Amino acid sequence: MILPLALVVVVLAAALAGWAALWAVRDRPVVLNQLWGAAVVEAALLVQLVVAIVAASRGPGPVEHGTFWGYVVASLLILPLAGAWAFAERTRWSSVVLLVAAVTVAFMQWRMLQTWGIS
Amino acid sequence: MTESIEPQQPPMVETPVAGGPSADGSASAPHGVPSTSSGPGRVLVAVYGVFALAATARAGFQIATKLSEAPLAYLLSALSAVVYVAATFALARGGRLARRIAWAACSVELVGVLAVGTLSLLSPQDFPQATVWSVFGQGYGYVPLVLPVLGLLWLRRTRPVPVQVTSH
Repeated sequence: MILPLALVVVVLAAALAGWAALWAVRDRPVVLNQLWGAAVVEAALLVQLVVAIVAASRGPGPVEHGTFWGYVVASLLILPLAGAWAFAERTRWSSVVLLVAAVTVAFMQWRMLQTWGIS
Repeated sequence: MTESIEPQQPPMVETPVAGGPSADGSASAPHGVPSTSSGPGRVLVAVYGVFALAATARAGFQIATKLSEAPLAYLLSALSAVVYVAATFALARGGRLARRIAWAACSVELVGVLAVGTLSLLSPQDFPQATVWSVFGQGYGYVPLVLPVLGLLWLRRTRPVPVQVTSH
């Protein structure tokens, strides 16, 4: 359950990153629909949080305990903060901010799998 | 099949705006001090924010749970966290004092990543646990090495023009 969910988050975050990259290339700022897209990724991260808590309470849990939960909490903070920060800027650079945030969330999934002990 | 219609407007006027904050004037804060948090600076602050978050979480966890294992490495983690947090807020805020803080933070960061990077290669036994700056930030795609350089270049690029400063 941990692995499939991580893959879902990575796919969603990668889609958001691609969307933001396209907007950056086209010299456009972040639009509201992209923030809804970020909200979808965030929802998946929240589902992941619940699943991880349940899995850790029933099984052995993550190998690197502190680091894993650190990544869980940090990844939840990234998109809301970056979304607000990006949306206040009305140039293409706002799209680059969202791109960076989405790539970061995807990267953190890989670290979370590592610290859980899967990859 | 004619060449009359281009599906997309080529971004012909973007380059001066993308290159510098002063090109369109909109990026300038009041009092003639150019903003460090708009345009490309927006991205810089975002990346700094990610590292501030990562370094703070990492250092906090390391010091709270296993400081005695590698005190040098973990205290350096804490230093890097302070530096990233300072740089993030200083660059986001802008203004004269914040620019000075940002200069200091980026300079300490550059010295730190070069020193820790070199030491971690020369005497790895002193750095049994990785820090953000170990091996010049290899674990983070060398972003910790590039970031202070970009930060200093950006501060130089957005430095206030003396004529504007006197006019406030």
